[in-house]
Amino acid sequence: MPPLELLLQQALNGVMLGVMYALIAVGFTLFFGVLDVIHFAHGDVFMLGAFAGLSALLGLAAVGLTGGLLALPLAFAVSMLATGLVGVAAERVCVKPLARSSPLMTLLATLSLGLVLREAVLIFYPRGADPKPFPRLLPQGGFEVGGVVVRWENLVILGIGFAAMVAVDLVINRTRMGAAIRAVAQDPEAAQMMGVNLDRTVDATFFLGSALAAVAGILSGLYYSEIHFIMGITGGVIGFSAAALGGFGNVYGAIVGGLLFGLLQTMAAALIPRGSEFRDVVAFAVVMLFLVVRPRGILGEKSVERV
Amino acid sequence: MRLLEVQGLGVRFGGLVALDAVDVAVGEGETLGVIGPNGSGKTTLFNALTGLYAPAAGRIRFGEHDLVGLETHRIARLGIARTFQASRLCLGLSVFDNILIGMHARRRSGLLDAVVRRGRLRAEMREAVERAAHLLALFSRELPARGFERVGQLPQIDRRRVEICRALASRPRLLLLDEPSAGMNPEETAELMRDLAVVREEMPGLSMIVIEHDMFVIEGVSQRVVALNYGRKIAEGPFAAVAAHAEVREAYLGRESARA
Amino acid sequence: MFLVWLAELIVFALVVAGILSERPAALAATGAALVAAALLLRLAPGLRRRLAEAFAAERGAALAGGAALALALPFALRASPYWTFVAALALLYVTIGQGLNLQIGSAGLINLAGAAFAGLGGYTVGLLTVSAGWPAWAAVLAAPWVAVVVGTLLFVPILKTRGHYLALVTIAFVFIFNILMNNLEFTGGPQGIKNIPTLRLLGYAFTAKPVVFGVELPAHANFYYAALLTAAVATAVLRRLHDGWLGLVLNTLRDDEIAARCAGVSVTRGKLLAFCIGNFFIGLGGALYAVMVGFVSPPDFDFGYSLIMLSVIIIGGVDSIPGVVLGACLLLPLPERFRFLHEYRLLLYGLVIMFMLLYRPQGLWPVGIRRYR
Repeated sequence: MPPLELLLQQALNGVMLGVMYALIAVGFTLFFGVLDVIHFAHGDVFMLGAFAGLSALLGLAAVGLTGGLLALPLAFAVSMLATGLVGVAAERVCVKPLARSSPLMTLLATLSLGLVLREAVLIFYPRGADPKPFPRLLPQGGFEVGGVVVRWENLVILGIGFAAMVAVDLVINRTRMGAAIRAVAQDPEAAQMMGVNLDRTVDATFFLGSALAAVAGILSGLYYSEIHFIMGITGGVIGFSAAALGGFGNVYGAIVGGLLFGLLQTMAAALIPRGSEFRDVVAFAVVMLFLVVRPRGILGEKSVERV
Repeated sequence: MRLLEVQGLGVRFGGLVALDAVDVAVGEGETLGVIGPNGSGKTTLFNALTGLYAPAAGRIRFGEHDLVGLETHRIARLGIARTFQASRLCLGLSVFDNILIGMHARRRSGLLDAVVRRGRLRAEMREAVERAAHLLALFSRELPARGFERVGQLPQIDRRRVEICRALASRPRLLLLDEPSAGMNPEETAELMRDLAVVREEMPGLSMIVIEHDMFVIEGVSQRVVALNYGRKIAEGPFAAVAAHAEVREAYLGRESARA
Repeated sequence: MFLVWLAELIVFALVVAGILSERPAALAATGAALVAAALLLRLAPGLRRRLAEAFAAERGAALAGGAALALALPFALRASPYWTFVAALALLYVTIGQGLNLQIGSAGLINLAGAAFAGLGGYTVGLLTVSAGWPAWAAVLAAPWVAVVVGTLLFVPILKTRGHYLALVTIAFVFIFNILMNNLEFTGGPQGIKNIPTLRLLGYAFTAKPVVFGVELPAHANFYYAALLTAAVATAVLRRLHDGWLGLVLNTLRDDEIAARCAGVSVTRGKLLAFCIGNFFIGLGGALYAVMVGFVSPPDFDFGYSLIMLSVIIIGGVDSIPGVVLGACLLLPLPERFRFLHEYRLLLYGLVIMFMLLYRPQGLWPVGIRRYR
């Protein structure tokens, strides 16, 4: 049994990973809530967000802006905007046209879109096949609490992540667009009859989800100090699993699912021999098991088939 | 002993009581009508009979079998067939495909027959197609000729007929029809009633339960009627008696009208 | 009957010319001929109809003609061992595709772990031959069953999950498979299993260059014929299953599970059969691949390959048996032919699938109505 400090350390790591996963998961769950679709390209949108952020940072550095305090928020803003727009474009191109076909079609279309995004980065980004170093812009160093090392980096990442989640909560619950999203998620026809513009609401949902994924992408770059064009595959699968864990359509569920998944991964790495190699296996296996036993998720999925 | 006996049937969804202590019985060759306002539990009754919902209470006896707890496909193989309120057909498959699925449970050839020594399978399927055509011909002279067209291309009334043929294809002892006239205009409804009369004639031993909102159809088709409201049986008897029943009128028309 | 054979011969000639032309003049001529043929078909509906009728009426002759040409292909390609190899690979994808199509197309089971089941076939062959000393032919016959058995481990999730959940479970599975193959010692880790012995039948080694009718063919032609035989068997078996009760049952439970249950269909049995039979053929393809190439390694069986298998089915036509053949024969050789596009291969696959789904979801050779002949 590993020492307590190690477990706590891993728990901290788990929460940080979890925050990133949660941000991706919220996107998945919003898309499902609003359009009943599983957007398989969302993971690659997360990857795009990371690359957009990197490009922004490199661009800013080229004009002399390298300070974390200035460059980072700008990079976030640029990436969120760009990625949000890509998300909307993705929805317009391959989700909405297939809205009335079988779900298999949408699944396959978004899966292929993800492939296209991935390959595009691989081919068109300079030396896309290699992992790209991400600038270390966060304050270094940290402090120790009871044997657990807490780095300032970690706190900043956690802070940004939680801020993003709070922002999402505010948008969903306190804005008109958020109300529109909730209305469409519950009953698209009724929402339209109350004057909600369906197209714009769907666009807004995809923008929001994709922008969140961009935040997650940059955070991931900051955490690992590198990004890679294939990070979207695992990111997507994990985000999807987290959303499933929490119950599709349920934003709080997605957050809980993301945090749980992160903890699951790091605890598995700590507790199982050779755990770090197999941590993904354990996490996926647990998700598979969970889906079998309780497919509606922890907090419950939103729809039931009528007979 | 009646063919179907339902005693004290109760179905719940969480806190919502969909059916409460319902007793229903159907004899051989009898047609029972089921009426009631929307939400009164009519389709829920069918779903419980066919094993799609698990009853919270009560017993369902069909022939010598106790249906509670059995899987849907086993109940179907025991001889209960049904149609659905919103037609559940495979729109991309042909008319014959949709009917043949009703016959598959009684097939004699297996997987091996499909792959080697195919003569047996092919003969069996040709026979099945003929039987499907025969069933279609009961309702319409043109339908059998359209047997290889996709069901999605047929008009509503013909789709309903295909669904009924699918149900009949399995040679059921009990046929459950859920609002067969839904979405039909008066001419189509009249055709439907003729169709049901033909079924009655061709298969006199077949028992039927028909859920309907159209009282004209219920009156023309059933020997006995059961009325449900809020999941409970509120009346039973010949149509005229049930239609005149105060509680039934109240359920449909409201308290003032009932007193009028 | 001659019209059918003539049409097949023209297609054959165009394909071979397309594959082998190197000089600009030849390439241009082939391209022009292809465009001319396509235009002819497009603009002359009468011709199209006559061809369709001829093929429908003379199915036996069409099949015989097609078979003859398929057997003759290695002769036409004998100058290029590389293209013989590609042709063999395409046929392996036919076998795999027929299995996957039963699951995804006929039964609606979204199996994104095709690469893992092929990998199970390939790795089993590697382990049986290299570690346990089995002869290759025995390993190839045994390997698909391993894919089937492991597939049944997934069975509870398959039964209890729908649509996107099922997709997630299978994605998780292919990732787990990949990570395990990469990290377990007995599977060779990232290097995989090397030096898998080649197929030997009655003393004849498949690495020898066959001499047929006095003509020497590249060694890969042996595997071409083995793959052709396997693909033919797979196609025939799946075609017959599709046209019989199983195909009907699977289609119904794919389109409306509740109606299927109420008609007496056992959903459990249907899905189990589709999954197991499908995995058998997928594993068989992977097993043959292992003896053909001589080694297996984790990158050979990753999620990307699942997507390629998927695109074969979508491009050909979901639930369409001939579509799978067409899809595999188009999708595998084309990127090899346009080598300068090789880097863009996956990108183009993705774009093509999206295009197909949006504009021709039924595929290039849509599934036909069962005729019960």
